[in-house]
Amino acid sequence: MKWNVWFGEVVEEDGKLIAKKSNDLVESFKNASNPEALPFNLPEVGLQVFESLEDYYKTLRKIALKVTSEKVERELKREDRYVILLLKALDKLNESINMLEEKLRDIEEVKISDTTEDFRERIEELKRLRRRIEKEIEDVITKIAPNLTEIAGAVIAARLLEKAGSLERLAFLPASKIQILGAEKSLYKALARMRRGKPAKTPKHGIIFIHPFIRTLPKRKRGRMARFMAAKLAIAAKLDYFKGELDENLAESVRKKYEELRREKDKPKKEESKQEPKEEKPKKKKKKPKHR
Amino acid sequence: MKEIIHNVFIIEREGKEILATKSKYGSHYGERKIGEFREWIPSRSKLAAMILKGHIIDIKPDWKVLYLGAASGTTVSHLADIVDEGIIYAVEYSAKPFVKFLQLAEERRNIIPLLEDASTPWKYNGIVEKVDFIYQDIAQKNQIEIFFANIDMFLKDGGEGVIMVKARSIDSTAEPEVVFDRVVEELGEKLEVLAHGSLEPFHKDHIYVHVRKTK
Repeated sequence: MKWNVWFGEVVEEDGKLIAKKSNDLVESFKNASNPEALPFNLPEVGLQVFESLEDYYKTLRKIALKVTSEKVERELKREDRYVILLLKALDKLNESINMLEEKLRDIEEVKISDTTEDFRERIEELKRLRRRIEKEIEDVITKIAPNLTEIAGAVIAARLLEKAGSLERLAFLPASKIQILGAEKSLYKALARMRRGKPAKTPKHGIIFIHPFIRTLPKRKRGRMARFMAAKLAIAAKLDYFKGELDENLAESVRKKYEELRREKDKPKKEESKQEPKEEKPKKKKKKPKHR
Repeated sequence: MKEIIHNVFIIEREGKEILATKSKYGSHYGERKIGEFREWIPSRSKLAAMILKGHIIDIKPDWKVLYLGAASGTTVSHLADIVDEGIIYAVEYSAKPFVKFLQLAEERRNIIPLLEDASTPWKYNGIVEKVDFIYQDIAQKNQIEIFFANIDMFLKDGGEGVIMVKARSIDSTAEPEVVFDRVVEELGEKLEVLAHGSLEPFHKDHIYVHVRKTK
Protein backbone atom coordinates (compact mmCIF):
# COMPACT_ATOMS: atom_id res chain seq x y z
CA MET A 1 0.00 0.00 0.00
CA LYS A 2 1.02 3.56 -0.62
CA TRP A 3 -0.47 6.81 0.63
CA ASN A 4 0.02 10.35 -0.57
CA VAL A 5 0.71 12.64 2.35
CA TRP A 6 1.64 16.31 2.46
CA PHE A 7 5.30 15.62 3.22
CA GLY A 8 5.69 12.92 0.60
CA GLU A 9 4.64 9.29 0.79
CA VAL A 10 3.96 6.61 3.33
CA VAL A 11 4.46 3.04 2.13
CA GLU A 12 3.76 -0.23 3.80
CA GLU A 13 6.64 -2.67 3.62
CA ASP A 14 6.59 -5.98 5.48
CA GLY A 15 3.78 -4.76 7.66
CA LYS A 16 5.71 -1.64 8.61
CA LEU A 17 4.88 1.92 7.72
CA ILE A 18 7.72 3.87 6.21
CA ALA A 19 7.61 7.61 5.65
CA LYS A 20 9.40 9.09 2.66
CA LYS A 21 9.97 12.80 2.49
CA SER A 22 9.51 14.50 -0.85
CA ASN A 23 12.00 16.94 -2.32
CA ASP A 24 9.23 19.28 -3.29
CA LEU A 25 6.92 19.78 -0.34
CA VAL A 26 4.69 22.24 -2.20
CA GLU A 27 4.02 19.62 -4.85
CA SER A 28 3.41 16.79 -2.39
CA PHE A 29 1.12 19.05 -0.34
CA LYS A 30 -1.00 19.68 -3.41
CA ASN A 31 -1.27 15.97 -4.12
CA ALA A 32 -2.04 14.77 -0.61
CA SER A 33 -5.22 13.04 -1.65
CA ASN A 34 -6.29 9.45 -0.94
CA PRO A 35 -9.52 7.61 -1.71
CA GLU A 36 -9.91 6.30 1.84
CA ALA A 37 -9.14 7.52 5.34
CA LEU A 38 -5.52 6.93 6.34
CA PRO A 39 -5.13 3.91 8.66
CA PHE A 40 -2.48 5.73 10.69
CA ASN A 41 -2.08 9.09 12.35
CA LEU A 42 -0.07 11.51 10.24
CA PRO A 43 2.21 13.28 12.75
CA GLU A 44 3.24 9.96 14.33
CA VAL A 45 4.48 8.56 11.04
CA GLY A 46 5.79 11.97 10.08
CA LEU A 47 8.19 11.86 13.02
CA GLN A 48 10.26 9.40 11.00
CA VAL A 49 11.29 12.24 8.72
CA PHE A 50 10.91 15.27 10.99
CA GLU A 51 13.09 16.05 13.99
CA SER A 52 10.20 16.79 16.31
CA LEU A 53 6.49 17.46 16.36
CA GLU A 54 7.33 21.12 16.56
CA ASP A 55 9.33 20.80 13.37
CA TYR A 56 6.48 18.83 11.78
CA TYR A 57 3.82 21.48 12.48
CA LYS A 58 6.11 24.37 11.71
CA THR A 59 6.86 22.95 8.27
CA LEU A 60 3.23 21.99 7.62
CA ARG A 61 2.07 25.46 8.49
CA LYS A 62 4.66 27.11 6.31
CA ILE A 63 3.72 25.03 3.27
CA ALA A 64 -0.02 25.39 3.89
CA LEU A 65 0.30 29.16 4.07
CA LYS A 66 2.33 29.30 0.89
CA VAL A 67 0.08 27.01 -1.15
CA THR A 68 -3.14 28.58 0.16
CA SER A 69 -2.05 32.16 -0.47
CA GLU A 70 -1.12 31.30 -4.03
CA LYS A 71 -4.40 29.48 -4.56
CA VAL A 72 -6.40 32.39 -3.15
CA GLU A 73 -4.65 34.88 -5.35
CA ARG A 74 -5.12 32.78 -8.45
CA GLU A 75 -8.79 32.17 -7.81
CA LEU A 76 -9.58 35.78 -7.16
CA LYS A 77 -7.94 36.92 -10.31
CA ARG A 78 -9.48 34.60 -12.81
CA GLU A 79 -12.79 33.24 -11.74
CA ASP A 80 -15.15 35.99 -12.87
CA ARG A 81 -13.47 36.13 -16.26
CA TYR A 82 -13.79 32.37 -16.50
CA VAL A 83 -17.56 32.43 -15.86
CA ILE A 84 -18.11 35.16 -18.42
CA LEU A 85 -16.18 33.32 -21.10
CA LEU A 86 -17.91 30.04 -20.31
CA LEU A 87 -21.26 31.77 -20.58
CA LYS A 88 -20.40 33.24 -23.95
CA ALA A 89 -19.22 29.86 -25.15
CA LEU A 90 -22.44 28.34 -23.84
CA ASP A 91 -24.54 30.75 -25.91
CA LYS A 92 -22.63 29.85 -29.05
CA LEU A 93 -22.92 26.18 -28.22
CA ASN A 94 -26.68 26.53 -27.89
CA GLU A 95 -26.90 28.22 -31.24
CA SER A 96 -24.79 25.50 -32.83
CA ILE A 97 -26.80 22.68 -31.35
CA ASN A 98 -30.07 24.18 -32.56
CA MET A 99 -28.67 24.83 -36.01
CA LEU A 100 -27.14 21.37 -36.35
CA GLU A 101 -30.31 19.67 -35.15
CA GLU A 102 -32.28 21.56 -37.75
CA LYS A 103 -29.92 20.48 -40.51
CA LEU A 104 -30.00 16.91 -39.30
CA ARG A 105 -33.77 16.90 -39.35
CA ASP A 106 -33.70 18.15 -42.95
CA ILE A 107 -31.36 15.35 -43.99
CA GLU A 108 -33.30 12.68 -42.12
CA GLU A 109 -36.48 13.64 -43.89
CA VAL A 110 -34.78 12.60 -47.09
CA LYS A 111 -32.77 9.63 -45.94
CA ILE A 112 -31.61 7.95 -42.74
CA SER A 113 -28.15 6.47 -43.02
CA ASP A 114 -25.07 5.60 -40.99
CA THR A 115 -23.90 9.11 -41.53
CA THR A 116 -27.01 10.62 -40.00
CA GLU A 117 -26.61 8.23 -37.05
CA ASP A 118 -23.09 9.48 -36.59
CA PHE A 119 -24.32 13.05 -36.94
CA ARG A 120 -26.88 12.52 -34.20
CA GLU A 121 -24.29 11.04 -31.90
CA ARG A 122 -22.09 14.08 -32.28
CA ILE A 123 -24.98 16.35 -31.39
CA GLU A 124 -25.63 14.31 -28.28
CA GLU A 125 -22.01 14.76 -27.39
CA LEU A 126 -22.38 18.51 -27.70
CA LYS A 127 -25.39 18.37 -25.43
CA ARG A 128 -23.34 16.58 -22.80
CA LEU A 129 -20.72 19.27 -23.11
CA ARG A 130 -23.44 21.86 -22.67
CA ARG A 131 -24.61 20.28 -19.43
CA ARG A 132 -21.06 20.19 -18.18
CA ILE A 133 -20.48 23.86 -18.92
CA GLU A 134 -23.74 24.77 -17.22
CA LYS A 135 -22.68 22.85 -14.13
CA GLU A 136 -19.28 24.51 -14.13
CA ILE A 137 -20.80 27.98 -14.43
CA GLU A 138 -23.08 27.21 -11.52
CA ASP A 139 -20.22 25.94 -9.35
CA VAL A 140 -17.98 28.90 -10.00
CA ILE A 141 -20.60 31.63 -9.72
CA THR A 142 -21.77 30.19 -6.38
CA LYS A 143 -18.21 30.42 -5.18
CA ILE A 144 -17.28 33.90 -6.36
CA ALA A 145 -20.67 35.56 -5.92
CA PRO A 146 -22.53 33.72 -3.15
CA ASN A 147 -24.89 36.60 -2.37
CA LEU A 148 -25.89 37.29 -5.95
CA THR A 149 -26.45 33.58 -6.49
CA GLU A 150 -28.49 33.21 -3.33
CA ILE A 151 -30.86 35.96 -4.42
CA ALA A 152 -31.00 35.52 -8.16
CA GLY A 153 -29.93 31.94 -8.80
CA ALA A 154 -26.86 30.87 -10.74
CA VAL A 155 -28.21 31.65 -14.19
CA ILE A 156 -29.23 35.24 -13.57
CA ALA A 157 -26.17 35.91 -11.41
CA ALA A 158 -23.91 34.75 -14.23
CA ARG A 159 -25.82 36.81 -16.81
CA LEU A 160 -25.56 39.93 -14.68
CA LEU A 161 -21.85 39.34 -14.37
CA GLU A 162 -21.56 38.93 -18.11
CA LYS A 163 -23.48 42.12 -18.85
CA ALA A 164 -21.46 44.12 -16.35
CA GLY A 165 -18.18 42.71 -17.63
CA SER A 166 -16.62 41.82 -14.30
CA LEU A 167 -17.52 41.39 -10.68
CA GLU A 168 -15.75 44.64 -9.91
CA ARG A 169 -17.83 46.58 -12.41
CA LEU A 170 -21.02 44.95 -11.24
CA ALA A 171 -20.16 45.94 -7.68
CA PHE A 172 -19.96 49.57 -8.72
CA LEU A 173 -23.22 49.67 -10.70
CA PRO A 174 -26.19 51.47 -9.16
CA ALA A 175 -29.30 49.41 -8.47
CA SER A 176 -31.24 51.23 -11.18
CA LYS A 177 -28.75 50.03 -13.76
CA ILE A 178 -28.80 46.46 -12.48
CA GLN A 179 -32.58 46.54 -12.72
CA ILE A 180 -32.49 47.11 -16.47
CA LEU A 181 -29.27 45.26 -17.37
CA GLY A 182 -30.10 43.37 -20.53
CA ALA A 183 -32.89 45.76 -21.53
CA GLU A 184 -30.61 48.52 -22.79
CA LYS A 185 -32.20 48.57 -26.18
CA SER A 186 -35.69 49.34 -24.95
CA LEU A 187 -34.33 51.76 -22.38
CA TYR A 188 -32.55 53.85 -24.99
CA LYS A 189 -35.53 53.66 -27.28
CA ALA A 190 -37.72 55.01 -24.51
CA LEU A 191 -35.23 57.69 -23.61
CA ALA A 192 -34.98 58.75 -27.24
CA ARG A 193 -38.74 59.04 -27.50
CA MET A 194 -38.86 61.12 -24.35
CA ARG A 195 -36.24 63.43 -25.69
CA ARG A 196 -38.45 64.04 -28.67
CA GLY A 197 -41.25 64.90 -26.29
CA LYS A 198 -43.24 61.76 -26.93
CA PRO A 199 -44.76 59.61 -24.19
CA ALA A 200 -42.67 56.53 -23.36
CA LYS A 201 -42.10 54.08 -20.56
CA THR A 202 -38.68 52.93 -19.45
CA PRO A 203 -38.37 49.19 -19.03
CA LYS A 204 -39.13 47.70 -15.64
CA HIS A 205 -36.62 44.91 -15.84
CA GLY A 206 -33.87 43.34 -17.90
CA ILE A 207 -32.28 40.00 -17.20
CA ILE A 208 -33.83 39.79 -13.77
CA PHE A 209 -37.23 39.37 -15.40
CA ILE A 210 -36.58 35.63 -15.71
CA HIS A 211 -36.46 35.36 -11.93
CA PRO A 212 -39.57 33.50 -10.76
CA PHE A 213 -40.25 36.15 -8.12
CA ILE A 214 -40.77 38.71 -10.85
CA ARG A 215 -42.16 36.59 -13.64
CA THR A 216 -44.91 35.06 -11.54
CA LEU A 217 -46.26 38.37 -10.28
CA PRO A 218 -48.99 40.22 -12.16
CA LYS A 219 -47.66 42.87 -14.47
CA ARG A 220 -48.53 45.85 -12.33
CA LYS A 221 -46.46 44.53 -9.45
CA ARG A 222 -43.42 43.45 -11.38
CA GLY A 223 -41.91 46.91 -11.41
CA ARG A 224 -41.96 47.16 -7.66
CA MET A 225 -40.49 43.72 -7.24
CA ALA A 226 -37.81 44.37 -9.84
CA ARG A 227 -36.84 47.63 -8.17
CA PHE A 228 -36.60 45.98 -4.78
CA MET A 229 -34.66 43.01 -6.07
CA ALA A 230 -32.26 45.20 -8.00
CA ALA A 231 -31.56 47.20 -4.85
CA LYS A 232 -30.70 44.02 -2.97
CA LEU A 233 -28.66 42.71 -5.88
CA ALA A 234 -26.63 45.91 -5.84
CA ILE A 235 -25.83 45.31 -2.18
CA ALA A 236 -25.14 41.64 -2.89
CA ALA A 237 -22.66 42.50 -5.65
CA LYS A 238 -20.80 44.81 -3.30
CA LEU A 239 -20.73 42.17 -0.58
CA ASP A 240 -19.49 39.55 -3.02
CA TYR A 241 -16.80 41.77 -4.39
CA PHE A 242 -15.47 43.24 -1.16
CA LYS A 243 -16.24 40.56 1.39
CA GLY A 244 -17.17 37.34 -0.33
CA GLU A 245 -19.24 35.99 2.52
CA LEU A 246 -22.87 35.02 2.37
CA ASP A 247 -25.33 37.24 4.21
CA GLU A 248 -28.50 35.23 4.65
CA ASN A 249 -30.66 38.24 5.44
CA LEU A 250 -30.42 39.67 1.96
CA ALA A 251 -32.07 36.84 0.08
CA GLU A 252 -34.50 36.50 2.94
CA SER A 253 -35.65 40.10 2.56
CA VAL A 254 -36.26 39.57 -1.15
CA ARG A 255 -38.35 36.53 -0.43
CA LYS A 256 -40.36 38.46 2.15
CA LYS A 257 -40.99 41.29 -0.29
CA TYR A 258 -42.24 38.79 -2.82
CA GLU A 259 -44.59 37.18 -0.32
CA GLU A 260 -45.82 40.62 0.63
CA LEU A 261 -46.53 41.64 -2.96
CA ARG A 262 -48.08 38.33 -3.74
CA ARG A 263 -50.49 38.56 -0.84
CA GLU A 264 -51.36 42.18 -1.43
CA LYS A 265 -53.82 41.53 -4.23
CA ASP A 266 -55.94 39.32 -2.03
CA LYS A 267 -57.18 42.25 -0.01
CA PRO A 268 -59.98 43.56 -2.23
CA LYS A 269 -61.41 40.09 -2.73
CA LYS A 270 -61.24 38.65 0.70
CA GLU A 271 -63.89 36.00 0.33
CA GLU A 272 -62.38 34.39 -2.67
CA SER A 273 -58.90 34.15 -1.32
CA LYS A 274 -60.08 32.65 1.93
CA GLN A 275 -61.27 29.56 0.20
CA GLU A 276 -57.90 28.78 -1.23
CA PRO A 277 -55.37 26.90 0.82
CA LYS A 278 -52.52 29.12 1.94
CA GLU A 279 -49.71 26.87 0.82
CA GLU A 280 -50.68 26.79 -2.81
CA LYS A 281 -48.11 27.72 -5.39
CA PRO A 282 -48.09 31.33 -6.50
CA LYS A 283 -48.43 30.53 -10.18
CA LYS A 284 -51.88 29.03 -10.01
CA LYS A 285 -53.21 31.50 -7.53
CA LYS A 286 -52.17 34.43 -9.59
CA LYS A 287 -54.49 34.16 -12.50
CA LYS A 288 -57.82 34.14 -10.72
CA PRO A 289 -58.36 37.58 -9.24
CA LYS A 290 -57.61 39.65 -12.27
CA HIS A 291 -59.14 42.93 -11.41
CA ARG A 292 -58.02 46.36 -12.43
CA MET B 1 -14.57 37.31 36.25
CA LYS B 2 -15.03 33.62 35.68
CA GLU B 3 -13.16 31.16 33.45
CA ILE B 4 -15.72 28.82 31.91
CA ILE B 5 -13.50 27.10 29.35
CA HIS B 6 -9.73 27.28 29.05
CA ASN B 7 -9.04 30.94 28.21
CA VAL B 8 -12.74 31.76 27.89
CA PHE B 9 -14.03 34.23 30.45
CA ILE B 10 -17.19 35.99 31.45
CA ILE B 11 -15.99 39.45 32.33
CA GLU B 12 -17.81 42.41 33.70
CA ARG B 13 -17.73 45.58 31.73
CA GLU B 14 -19.77 48.68 32.48
CA GLY B 15 -22.16 46.63 34.56
CA LYS B 16 -22.71 44.10 31.78
CA GLU B 17 -21.40 40.58 31.53
CA ILE B 18 -19.63 39.84 28.30
CA LEU B 19 -17.92 36.84 26.83
CA ALA B 20 -14.23 37.12 25.98
CA THR B 21 -11.16 35.05 25.29
CA LYS B 22 -7.77 35.67 26.80
CA SER B 23 -5.47 36.52 23.95
CA LYS B 24 -2.09 38.04 23.38
CA TYR B 25 -3.14 39.05 19.89
CA GLY B 26 -4.93 42.13 18.62
CA SER B 27 -8.46 42.58 17.32
CA HIS B 28 -9.29 40.58 14.19
CA TYR B 29 -12.81 41.52 13.13
CA GLY B 30 -13.44 44.77 14.93
CA GLU B 31 -14.10 43.25 18.34
CA ARG B 32 -13.09 45.25 21.42
CA LYS B 33 -9.83 44.55 23.13
CA ILE B 34 -10.21 44.83 26.89
CA GLY B 35 -6.85 44.46 28.57
CA GLU B 36 -5.62 40.99 27.74
CA PHE B 37 -9.07 39.92 26.54
CA ARG B 38 -10.79 39.97 23.19
CA GLU B 39 -14.55 40.36 23.29
CA TRP B 40 -16.31 37.38 21.70
CA ILE B 41 -19.40 38.70 19.99
CA PRO B 42 -22.32 36.21 19.87
CA SER B 43 -24.04 37.83 16.91
CA ARG B 44 -20.86 37.35 14.89
CA SER B 45 -19.87 33.89 16.10
CA LYS B 46 -22.31 31.01 16.48
CA LEU B 47 -19.97 29.24 18.86
CA ALA B 48 -20.09 32.25 21.18
CA ALA B 49 -23.88 32.26 20.86
CA MET B 50 -24.01 28.59 21.85
CA ILE B 51 -21.89 29.21 24.92
CA LEU B 52 -24.00 32.18 25.96
CA LYS B 53 -27.09 30.04 25.53
CA GLY B 54 -25.62 27.97 28.34
CA HIS B 55 -24.14 25.04 26.47
CA ILE B 56 -20.51 24.88 27.47
CA ILE B 57 -18.15 22.39 25.86
CA ASP B 58 -14.96 21.75 27.73
CA ILE B 59 -12.56 22.32 24.86
CA LYS B 60 -9.07 21.29 25.98
CA PRO B 61 -6.06 23.48 25.23
CA ASP B 62 -4.25 20.67 23.39
CA TRP B 63 -7.14 19.56 21.19
CA LYS B 64 -6.65 19.02 17.50
CA VAL B 65 -9.54 20.65 15.69
CA LEU B 66 -10.94 20.42 12.18
CA TYR B 67 -12.89 23.54 11.37
CA LEU B 68 -15.16 23.47 8.31
CA GLY B 69 -16.36 26.77 6.94
CA ALA B 70 -13.68 29.03 8.38
CA ALA B 71 -14.72 32.07 6.30
CA SER B 72 -12.81 35.16 7.39
CA GLY B 73 -11.87 33.63 10.71
CA THR B 74 -14.10 35.35 13.26
CA THR B 75 -14.78 32.20 15.26
CA VAL B 76 -11.45 30.57 14.43
CA SER B 77 -9.60 33.49 16.01
CA HIS B 78 -11.25 32.75 19.37
CA LEU B 79 -10.94 29.01 19.01
CA ALA B 80 -7.23 29.56 18.39
CA ASP B 81 -7.06 31.39 21.73
CA ILE B 82 -8.63 28.37 23.40
CA VAL B 83 -6.57 25.56 21.87
CA ASP B 84 -3.32 27.42 22.44
CA GLU B 85 -1.36 24.16 22.63
CA GLY B 86 -3.34 22.45 19.88
CA ILE B 87 -3.83 22.80 16.15
CA ILE B 88 -6.74 24.00 14.04
CA TYR B 89 -7.07 22.75 10.50
CA ALA B 90 -9.28 25.40 8.96
CA VAL B 91 -11.09 24.56 5.71
CA GLU B 92 -12.82 27.12 3.53
CA TYR B 93 -13.66 26.86 -0.15
CA SER B 94 -14.27 30.45 -1.05
CA ALA B 95 -11.21 32.56 -1.80
CA LYS B 96 -12.57 36.01 -0.98
CA PRO B 97 -13.05 35.72 2.79
CA PHE B 98 -9.88 33.68 3.01
CA VAL B 99 -7.78 36.73 2.17
CA LYS B 100 -8.66 38.10 5.58
CA PHE B 101 -8.32 34.67 7.11
CA LEU B 102 -4.75 34.37 5.89
CA GLN B 103 -3.78 37.43 7.94
CA LEU B 104 -4.95 35.53 10.98
CA ALA B 105 -3.19 32.34 9.93
CA GLU B 106 0.03 34.27 9.40
CA GLU B 107 0.02 35.58 12.95
CA ARG B 108 -1.21 32.48 14.82
CA ARG B 109 1.07 29.52 15.06
CA ASN B 110 -1.70 26.96 15.62
CA ILE B 111 -3.71 27.45 12.43
CA ILE B 112 -3.27 25.43 9.24
CA PRO B 113 -5.27 27.11 6.43
CA LEU B 114 -6.74 24.94 3.68
CA LEU B 115 -8.57 26.31 0.66
CA GLU B 116 -10.58 23.20 -0.07
CA ASP B 117 -14.15 22.03 -0.54
CA ALA B 118 -15.34 20.39 2.67
CA SER B 119 -17.57 18.07 0.67
CA THR B 120 -14.48 16.33 -0.75
CA PRO B 121 -12.51 15.33 2.37
CA TRP B 122 -10.45 12.80 0.43
CA LYS B 123 -8.70 15.70 -1.26
CA TYR B 124 -7.10 16.77 2.02
CA ASN B 125 -6.85 13.54 3.98
CA GLY B 126 -3.09 13.41 3.41
CA ILE B 127 -2.81 16.71 5.29
CA VAL B 128 -5.28 16.65 8.16
CA GLU B 129 -4.55 14.30 11.05
CA LYS B 130 -7.06 12.52 13.32
CA VAL B 131 -8.74 15.19 15.40
CA ASP B 132 -10.51 15.49 18.76
CA PHE B 133 -13.10 17.97 17.62
CA ILE B 134 -14.87 18.87 14.39
CA TYR B 135 -16.72 22.15 14.11
CA GLN B 136 -18.87 22.90 11.10
CA ASP B 137 -20.58 26.08 10.07
CA ILE B 138 -21.50 25.75 6.42
CA ALA B 139 -24.91 26.93 5.27
CA GLN B 140 -25.41 24.36 2.57
CA LYS B 141 -28.17 22.01 1.65
CA ASN B 142 -26.03 18.90 2.07
CA GLN B 143 -24.26 20.11 5.18
CA ILE B 144 -25.17 17.00 7.18
CA GLU B 145 -23.67 14.77 4.53
CA ILE B 146 -20.51 16.88 4.58
CA PHE B 147 -20.37 16.64 8.36
CA PHE B 148 -20.64 12.84 8.27
CA ALA B 149 -18.01 12.50 5.57
CA ASN B 150 -15.48 14.50 7.58
CA ILE B 151 -16.33 12.72 10.83
CA ASP B 152 -15.79 9.36 9.16
CA MET B 153 -12.50 10.50 7.73
CA PHE B 154 -10.96 12.46 10.59
CA LEU B 155 -12.68 12.25 13.98
CA LYS B 156 -11.13 10.01 16.64
CA ASP B 157 -13.43 7.52 18.36
CA GLY B 158 -14.91 9.32 21.32
CA GLY B 159 -14.19 12.64 19.63
CA GLU B 160 -16.82 15.34 19.58
CA GLY B 161 -18.36 17.58 17.02
CA VAL B 162 -20.56 20.63 16.76
CA ILE B 163 -22.62 21.48 13.72
CA MET B 164 -24.46 24.74 13.21
CA VAL B 165 -27.58 24.15 11.16
CA LYS B 166 -29.49 26.77 9.29
CA ALA B 167 -33.06 25.69 8.65
CA ARG B 168 -33.51 27.73 5.52
CA SER B 169 -30.51 26.31 3.72
CA ILE B 170 -31.65 22.72 4.26
CA ASP B 171 -35.26 23.24 3.30
CA SER B 172 -36.53 26.72 2.61
CA THR B 173 -40.17 25.73 2.45
CA ALA B 174 -40.62 23.66 5.62
CA GLU B 175 -41.06 25.08 9.11
CA PRO B 176 -37.69 25.46 10.88
CA GLU B 177 -38.83 23.24 13.78
CA VAL B 178 -39.65 20.41 11.40
CA VAL B 179 -36.27 20.74 9.70
CA PHE B 180 -34.46 20.75 13.04
CA ASP B 181 -36.25 17.63 14.27
CA ARG B 182 -35.33 15.86 11.07
CA VAL B 183 -31.69 16.96 11.31
CA VAL B 184 -31.29 15.87 14.94
CA GLU B 185 -32.84 12.53 14.11
CA GLU B 186 -30.56 12.05 11.13
CA LEU B 187 -27.47 12.89 13.18
CA GLY B 188 -28.66 10.56 15.93
CA GLU B 189 -28.68 7.61 13.56
CA LYS B 190 -24.90 7.61 13.30
CA LEU B 191 -23.73 9.64 16.26
CA GLU B 192 -24.53 10.19 19.90
CA VAL B 193 -26.37 13.50 20.20
CA LEU B 194 -25.14 15.13 23.41
CA ALA B 195 -27.14 18.33 23.17
CA HIS B 196 -28.93 20.61 20.80
CA GLY B 197 -30.68 23.93 21.02
CA SER B 198 -31.55 27.15 19.31
CA LEU B 199 -29.24 30.12 18.82
CA GLU B 200 -31.98 32.72 19.14
CA PRO B 201 -31.86 35.65 19.56
CA PHE B 202 -28.30 35.85 18.22
CA HIS B 203 -28.93 33.89 15.03
CA LYS B 204 -32.39 33.42 13.63
CA ASP B 205 -33.58 29.94 12.62
CA HIS B 206 -30.30 28.31 13.55
CA ILE B 207 -29.57 25.47 15.93
CA TYR B 208 -26.41 23.87 17.23
CA VAL B 209 -26.08 20.13 17.61
CA HIS B 210 -23.32 18.69 19.76
CA VAL B 211 -22.42 15.09 18.96
CA ARG B 212 -19.95 12.41 19.89
CA LYS B 213 -18.53 9.62 17.74
CA THR B 214 -18.96 6.27 19.41
CA LYS B 215 -17.62 2.99 18.12
